[in-house]
Amino acid sequence: MATKIPLIKLEKVTKRYPLADGESYQALNGVSLIVEKGEFVAIMGPSGSGKSTFMHIMGLLDIPSTGKYLLKGKDVKSYTSDELADIRNKDIGFVFQSFNLLSRTTVIKNVERPMMYAGISQEERTKRAMDALRLVQIDNKAENLSNHISGGQIQRVAIARAMVMEPSILLADEPTGNLDTKTSKEIMNHIKDLNKKGTTVILITHEEDIADFAKRIIKIVDGKIVTDRKK
Amino acid sequence: MDYREIVKTSLQVLRRNVMRTSLTMLGIIIGITSVILIVSIGQGAVKFITDELSSFGTDYFQISPGADQFSTLTGSNTLTLDDVEAIKTDPSLTNVNKVIPVSLQAARVTANDEDETVNISGTTTDAPAILRPEILYGEFLSSENNTASEHVAVMGSDASETFFGEDTNPTGERIRINGTPYLVIGVAHFESALAGSVLSNSIFVPINVMFREIQGQERIQEINVSVHNTELINQTIDDIEVLLRDRHDLNEGNENDFRISSAQDILSTVETITSLLTLMIAAISGISLIVGGVGVMNIMLVSVTERTKEIGLLKAIGAKEKDILTQFLIEAVVMTVFGGIIGIILGISGAFVVSSLVGIPFVVSPVAILLAVGVSSLVGIAFGLYPARKAARLSPIDALRYE
Ligand SMILES: Nc1ncnc2c1ncn2[C@@H]1O[C@H](COP(=O)(O)OP(=O)(O)O)[C@@H](O)[C@H]1O
Ligand SMILES: [Mg+2]
Repeated sequence: MATKIPLIKLEKVTKRYPLADGESYQALNGVSLIVEKGEFVAIMGPSGSGKSTFMHIMGLLDIPSTGKYLLKGKDVKSYTSDELADIRNKDIGFVFQSFNLLSRTTVIKNVERPMMYAGISQEERTKRAMDALRLVQIDNKAENLSNHISGGQIQRVAIARAMVMEPSILLADEPTGNLDTKTSKEIMNHIKDLNKKGTTVILITHEEDIADFAKRIIKIVDGKIVTDRKK
Repeated sequence: MDYREIVKTSLQVLRRNVMRTSLTMLGIIIGITSVILIVSIGQGAVKFITDELSSFGTDYFQISPGADQFSTLTGSNTLTLDDVEAIKTDPSLTNVNKVIPVSLQAARVTANDEDETVNISGTTTDAPAILRPEILYGEFLSSENNTASEHVAVMGSDASETFFGEDTNPTGERIRINGTPYLVIGVAHFESALAGSVLSNSIFVPINVMFREIQGQERIQEINVSVHNTELINQTIDDIEVLLRDRHDLNEGNENDFRISSAQDILSTVETITSLLTLMIAAISGISLIVGGVGVMNIMLVSVTERTKEIGLLKAIGAKEKDILTQFLIEAVVMTVFGGIIGIILGISGAFVVSSLVGIPFVVSPVAILLAVGVSSLVGIAFGLYPARKAARLSPIDALRYE
């Protein structure tokens, strides 16, 4: 039997940002991590510890300065920018803390957008977008402009959009960062449901009770993993 | 690529900034408006002249006395009835149809207690072949009128109205030209927009009578020659030139003492002027379009900067470079084509107003419209490309992190 290939495998990944004065800032400092399919991982750490940088690299939005990132066993260095865009489109869903939606664009058009890039027909787009909106119970706002709905509703639309291509990985960077406790719980329950259905979830947060939704909690300090605890 | 969706999105984006979009389109609007305006007016002018010439026919040309335009004013008198006869009877000039001499002189006319100075035109029975009058009453001059030097007159419709009033048949009445009585035998009306009013205000008499009674000498201001075959008109002109030079004893070194001009000459002059004018305006509006294009590029660059985070988001959810490029390019093209359409509408309206004020036909050129749409899209593509590429090539993370 062949050894099982992990979904995400990082080996001694570093990220160094060049600074204006010729110096550079080391945001990630040799991170190694394996995430298997179906996991629900929370990444915690103080502000500026490199959580977002970490997520951007896992989400193929950024590339490591050194080290290796194998996604489904394949080194992501080998992909062209169009191939990376295609993987982001079909295999990775993003939910950010803010600026998730195109403003002055309807909710449904926002959710349809990834499908447009995937070349899916308008008819199919509408149908699947409505299905996704229904799952997060926001289908009644489909025709509203995205700048005319509340913060909690925006995050639900963002989840619908992230899931509409049925990706295997959902990356959420402080998705409840701008929400009250009650709304945060609702959003987290939607994310938990997705994980139950098989989506691998990597969630960034600095709130303990949000991290509690996850089955594995990783703590980062100064660009390094300091604890990695499975429940 | 779902172009319909992208165009819709572009329209939405442009609507967000109505003021900015309109100002950006201004250069394009001015450029396209002026092209459409000038091309339409130019074509209207050519059509006007063409219609005018074809109302007389393009199957004739005119011989005038003297070497240049001024000779007519200074009373050059180099053409004779013998020349007319020679052109008529030369057996080699088979293409010649009618040869019509005209002698012009203003004279004092009295009739019905009215007393006016009127242009008298001495001509022959063939004149209607070129002037194409509508005979309202009686008939035009006959050849007997000329051979017998009869004192008869055909009144232009306006001249008839001056002396006898509207809707009155004056045939059988007598008028006096420089004191000599003439019998009115007909009334002729002329439609032509250019010459119609002059002709309708004239009185026509047999050319022999004109020479004897009014000019006091044989004096011909023009000889009109009509031809059977318009295709061969230039050959006929050349042949007549040779004939007249020979008759006037002109040697190698001597210039013509007459001028020959055809309707075709006038038309080609007008066409040359129009196309020169069009070229000039095209150059000016070309500059305006370039200025407009630079404006579009500038605004698109601003837009790319303003929407950097949006571009990052689109890249995160799977937009490829091509997708971003297409979106921004289409936004630029939508803007310039929109400006172009406004320009077309303004240009056509302007041409309509000008042509009705000036009194030339209103011509809408489909070619100019297609060209305007094509040019404005090209401007959009050319000047939108740089900003669109800049947007497309942003790295996803730099765009997302942009503040
Ligand atoms: N493009 C960049 N250039 C320079 N420094 C950056 C850049 N992006 C992030 N950083 C720095 O890297 C560190 C880690 O950032 P980030 O990953 O966003 O942390 P977190 O999400 O944990 O708050 C921060 O100190 C931040 O200022
Ligand atoms: Mg962060």
